[in-house]
Amino acid sequence: MPAAQGSMQRFFGALAQAGRVLTGRQIAGRGLTVFPDDVFLVSYPRSGNTWTRFLLGNLIYQDAAVTFSNIESRIPEIYFNRDRFLRQLPRPRMLKSHESFQPHYPRVIYIVRDPRDVAVSFYHHNVKARNIPDDYPMASFVPRFIAGEFDRKFGSWRDNVLSWTVLRKDDPWFLMLRYEDLKRDTAHVLANVVVFLDRCSFRKIDSSPQALQRAVELSSPERMRALEKQEAGSWVLTKGTRSDKPFVRSATSGGWKSQLSRESVAAIESAWGHLMRTMGYELVSEQTGPLAPAVSDQGVRS
Amino acid sequence: MSRLGTYLKAVTSTALGRTPAGRGLTVFPDDIFLVSYFRSGSTWSRFLFGNFIHQDEPVTFTNMDRFVPIIYDLPDRVLRNLPRVLKSHECFDPRYPHVIYIVRDPRDVAVSFYYYNLKTRVIPDGYSMDEFVTRWVAANVVPYADRVGCWQDHVLSWVRLREGKPGFRLVRYEDLLADPVKELTRLAPLLGIEPTPARVERAVQLSSASHMQSLEKTQSQQWVATKDTRQDIPFVREAKSGGWRKKLSATAVRTIEQAWGATMKELGYDLVMDANSKQELVKG
Repeated sequence: MPAAQGSMQRFFGALAQAGRVLTGRQIAGRGLTVFPDDVFLVSYPRSGNTWTRFLLGNLIYQDAAVTFSNIESRIPEIYFNRDRFLRQLPRPRMLKSHESFQPHYPRVIYIVRDPRDVAVSFYHHNVKARNIPDDYPMASFVPRFIAGEFDRKFGSWRDNVLSWTVLRKDDPWFLMLRYEDLKRDTAHVLANVVVFLDRCSFRKIDSSPQALQRAVELSSPERMRALEKQEAGSWVLTKGTRSDKPFVRSATSGGWKSQLSRESVAAIESAWGHLMRTMGYELVSEQTGPLAPAVSDQGVRS
Repeated sequence: MSRLGTYLKAVTSTALGRTPAGRGLTVFPDDIFLVSYFRSGSTWSRFLFGNFIHQDEPVTFTNMDRFVPIIYDLPDRVLRNLPRVLKSHECFDPRYPHVIYIVRDPRDVAVSFYYYNLKTRVIPDGYSMDEFVTRWVAANVVPYADRVGCWQDHVLSWVRLREGKPGFRLVRYEDLLADPVKELTRLAPLLGIEPTPARVERAVQLSSASHMQSLEKTQSQQWVATKDTRQDIPFVREAKSGGWRKKLSATAVRTIEQAWGATMKELGYDLVMDANSKQELVKG
């Protein structure tokens, strides 16, 4: 019976796919059409990508404030939107992606976030998406997170971060941002992004102090939470997920200190310690004693 | 008209379930991938590993897709039921659980790729090799395969991300050529094969350049990769290493070494640039 069910599922899957092709509604994803003037906003999931989309959306398009209902036509993501829709957007485009290294992405802004905070945020995200139950132990989630079991196609946090940084770190068309820096000094980091976008010959951006201030205010966690309350039922990323769990969560850094057990922290740090240090994240294991040799990760070579 | 043609082709191939898997491939935990940049011995390795794994029938160009299928020719639905040692040209894909990565001296790759582009009519007869090399090195991606990065991106994406990991083996084309017995024996555990001398020897014999060249003569009209290409230029070319010394100008060699020298040295390819500067030191 399960076999028959599987083949039925495949049959309907194929039928749906044929329908999408027939009507030109294929989801972009990895088959996305890429133009030479595209700028990609790339990160591992739960690393501040949506917040950055709000910030940059509010800075680049100052005609109307960004909301969850208009973000997909301003800085769209590639996994729920159709390639045909994305091809018709005005160029140059800015697109959100979670892919690990893609040689054909011409310009990339890459956001990295402390993996200990990513783990906490990703845990709640997976509860919201019904991938794990409410009472699923964090201690069981973390090893699976380290193994890259959730959203496997993006790789683990380490695969994603290392692939972009090691291959593009000296490239003039690559800009790396740390979520924590963006959090601490938003306007300053945004101004750097504008310099980068200017070098990319992206559209002209008003980056006066007032414009930066406006973008920061229109993208505050409070405003985003209020918008999510009204719009979560229609936004592609939240539609169909549990509405009792928020998409915009704490929007802070360092939450892992109270949310992760010592064992979970140690597990993340022993897997990725070298790369974390390279990215400027201090390790607990270094403060309490010498870190065990990082056997599993060589990190960025210098 | 060509847009309509592309559209109709896409619709029918999807409706009939014939869209090649490519990057949409379903990956299983025990899959093994033979990965390489273009013209780096990947067809030869399909013969070599195919003949090593499968004992019943020798690999040929026409049955190769049943033994070591390539992810770009067959739909996912078909690939799911085939032996899962697959050939791929992808840059780093975090999903691939076991990877045998074959790297080749980019100076030889350049020469081989030049002739391949002649064969597939991408460039005309008489096209300048220097011009080809300059464009090849400068391009971030191969124009007609835009998700395969330049040689260096391709190699580094795999080596930096996976070297030292249990499911990854780096193989130099030159080593495979010089001592295929030794390399097959080393790789056998990853393939789950007992490398008895007879089995290794059989695989090497059935995958020799001369054997493949004679097979190509009889099968090139049937094989998808060659059937619509120029028949006066062979697909299986020299199958040697170091051919660049005769075919590339000093300028072309310098172009490649200046772009990718550090990576080449890391992989054990000596640079002409270095040899020259040493000579100058001796003279001085």
